[in-house]
Amino acid sequence: MNEHFRIAQKLGLMFRPEETLPTDIKRWAIKQLQSPSPSLGIGNVGSDVKPWPKIFQPSLDEKAVKLRIHWETTKRERKKEGGFTEAAQRANDRDNLMYKKDILRFSHRNVYGSDQLRLRLMSFWANHFTIGSFDSREVIGHAMEEAILANFNDSFSTMLYKVTTHPGMLSYLDNHISAGPNSNQVRWAKANGEQAGLNDNLGRELLELHTVSPSANYTETDIRNAAKVLAGWGIDIKGNPLSSLMDQGGTTNLWDMYKRNWAEPGNKMVLGKTIGTGKGGLKQLTDFLAAHEHTVMHLSTKLAEHFVSDVPNKTDVNYIASAWRQSNGNLDQIHTAVIERAIASKEPKFQLPMTWLFQVLRLSNATYFMGWNEINTSNNSLKFNMQPMQIFDELGQNLWAERQPNGYSSKKEEWMSGEMFERRIRFADSIWTSDSQIQSTSVIMDRIGASKETRKLVESLHGMSSRSKKNQFIALMCSPELMGLENA
Amino acid sequence: MPNYKLTRRDFLKASGASLFLAGIPLQGFTQDKPPGKISVIILEGGMDGLSAVPAFGDPNFEKMRGILVPENYLKLNSFFGLHPSLKNLSSLMASNNASIVHATSFPYKKRSHFEGQNLIQGGGLTPFSEKTGWLGRSLELAKIPGRALSLEMPLILRGYGENDNFFPAKINNSSKININLVEKLTAAHGKLGSDVFEKVKQKSLLTLENMPRDPQSLAEYAGKAMAKKDGPTASVIRLSGFDSHASQDDGNGNDHGIDLAKIDGVIAAYKRGLGGAWDNSIILTITEFGRTVAVNGTRGTDHGYGSAGIIAGGAISKSRVISDWPGLAKNEQYEQRDLMSTIDYRSVCAACIEKSLGLDHDLIASKVFFEPKLPRVFDYLFS
Repeated sequence: MNEHFRIAQKLGLMFRPEETLPTDIKRWAIKQLQSPSPSLGIGNVGSDVKPWPKIFQPSLDEKAVKLRIHWETTKRERKKEGGFTEAAQRANDRDNLMYKKDILRFSHRNVYGSDQLRLRLMSFWANHFTIGSFDSREVIGHAMEEAILANFNDSFSTMLYKVTTHPGMLSYLDNHISAGPNSNQVRWAKANGEQAGLNDNLGRELLELHTVSPSANYTETDIRNAAKVLAGWGIDIKGNPLSSLMDQGGTTNLWDMYKRNWAEPGNKMVLGKTIGTGKGGLKQLTDFLAAHEHTVMHLSTKLAEHFVSDVPNKTDVNYIASAWRQSNGNLDQIHTAVIERAIASKEPKFQLPMTWLFQVLRLSNATYFMGWNEINTSNNSLKFNMQPMQIFDELGQNLWAERQPNGYSSKKEEWMSGEMFERRIRFADSIWTSDSQIQSTSVIMDRIGASKETRKLVESLHGMSSRSKKNQFIALMCSPELMGLENA
Repeated sequence: MPNYKLTRRDFLKASGASLFLAGIPLQGFTQDKPPGKISVIILEGGMDGLSAVPAFGDPNFEKMRGILVPENYLKLNSFFGLHPSLKNLSSLMASNNASIVHATSFPYKKRSHFEGQNLIQGGGLTPFSEKTGWLGRSLELAKIPGRALSLEMPLILRGYGENDNFFPAKINNSSKININLVEKLTAAHGKLGSDVFEKVKQKSLLTLENMPRDPQSLAEYAGKAMAKKDGPTASVIRLSGFDSHASQDDGNGNDHGIDLAKIDGVIAAYKRGLGGAWDNSIILTITEFGRTVAVNGTRGTDHGYGSAGIIAGGAISKSRVISDWPGLAKNEQYEQRDLMSTIDYRSVCAACIEKSLGLDHDLIASKVFFEPKLPRVFDYLFS
């Protein structure tokens, strides 16, 4: 592959046919960090690419309103009030649930957006800060865009705080129901013979996965104290009327929900650092953890494993870590260092199934995801009736799936399975078959500067039939070069 | 049939299950068959052994567990009971087709899911020390030739050269895989990629029926496949949802009872599928750790150490609860918080391998678990 596409593969999502290739690819890559693209997509299969309608990009408040309506309607339906019917339930889901549109918008952005590097980094951080529960799915897309992507030109500590306090994360790791052992809530509960108190789910993963990692040798006391700092943060995002939000948190803003009566009074010690009492304690903790040397090394390694090489060398990791330290965790500087190392390393990087799918779609200019007007209707054209959720489930990589908080591995050994490879063949087939206007294999090969070996592979399947043309397309997309693997 | 009502939420949770089959003999290959079949149910998240198998005879049990004591638990003996969601297991215990090992764990005390999950599958001495898994190494040692048929390849089965995974695709507009295409891809890739495409080629020669993806159907499917004349020797099913930090207290089959009922249903489905092959089969659960003895603040339990293991199958001839009970008083708990582990669960796995694959214990101890002095507990389980 030529240098443009080699770098777009490692760090981005490949250039679409209509995109002009930049003259200086490295400068372009770094400039990407400052070049957001609107959410582009299609309303219907075959219609022009344009920005997503505002009404399908609800704020967290608007999402909360919809969830409240959904929940109230569901309760009435269950009580058989107001003529419960399957149709009413479908209408309730269609009007008030948002995750399907969020996944479609995410997919469209990745296929049509001009900010391919930012989107790759968004997926990396969304996977690092996995929110993987059914209860949180309506706000996962919001967390990705507003807690992660929106903070790219800020610091890691800002991102960490915004993610940690995001209602999706707080409910995924059970923090919204955790109360300090000496809080008013626990006192009242005990007086009434009820159970209330702490759980350490988010406290543990904040240390183990999100920041310092087990290499920091924290103790169970550190974990428990982190959980005490977190106690009081979060609330059930659908079950509470506005008056209850005001009563408990003094605000209706779900992203700033701190229930004083659930908080643990007093200072807490985490990894030797004294964290003060009250709402400000969490920011103190996340700032401390964000700058911790073990966080710097843990995340520099993880970034290098994802973008540079499965087994990054010390130089790669130290280069990123040193940019981290020198900039006090400025994400622009960290990401720039990642870009520089990824370009300097000539090693191919195996592309995970989701990234690969977006790359195939961008290279081939195929329409594969349905339009936003079609998401809740059964499209008559059989070709486009796979829901995005189903597509990612079948691929084996779905940022909206129920899953464990450690997220997907960046290492190829975790993805080397016959079934996973079979899906690549099947998806390449499905993409080719779904869109007859697709870019021809030879045009794609010329544009990316396909290697001799890749051309030989494609040529070996030469034939006049449409089936041969399809097999050539599949072979290109499943070639070592486009999967990011070594040749024979 | 499921013994609980499947709500939409549960369906979505359940769909996270995956199945792995291993040790399917190659066509035309004849060799002495291993004496039995082995299936492992991985309980992801850390199962609360004291919820599944309450030690109601312990003087501190009620005091320590409070609201987590299930109301209608099923009695096993004067000391142990079973969670009311484990009805099928209870009848297997009554018919001498199941046993419990309690206060047991892999040798891992640091309470991280991800280190723990790696260790219980890798079977090495420390997390992330092994690139292969204990079941994969066992199959390799037993020289069971052939091909194994999930979406990814779990660590527990790696190390067995011919392993393959299986999870039927549902992708619109994709037709039967073209053999010539796969052969060309196999030739074009380096060793890593071509080994995998080689498996795709074998797969494309199979006709796979359309199958549902819920855990019980997967288990029944696995049982049927294993019961066939040249069927697989081993299978692995992974169940999620055992990380019960919150709301695990309801003894009425809701909350955590739903997850426990999944284990119960999977064992029942294996039995249905295995049919006559049940008689020489062993099914065992593994989990990365147990949980705190005391209930936490959110009606759940946090990560701990000792848990319980469930072993079922016709290869068992006498049901027992095997335990060197450590007690539940504060000073009897591990670090004054978790159920202590007094039995190394690797010994239990070793006994199940010995019984099903016919391998010698010392060989399993040294070559599968790298622990030549691993105690042999075979007689407790199978005599």
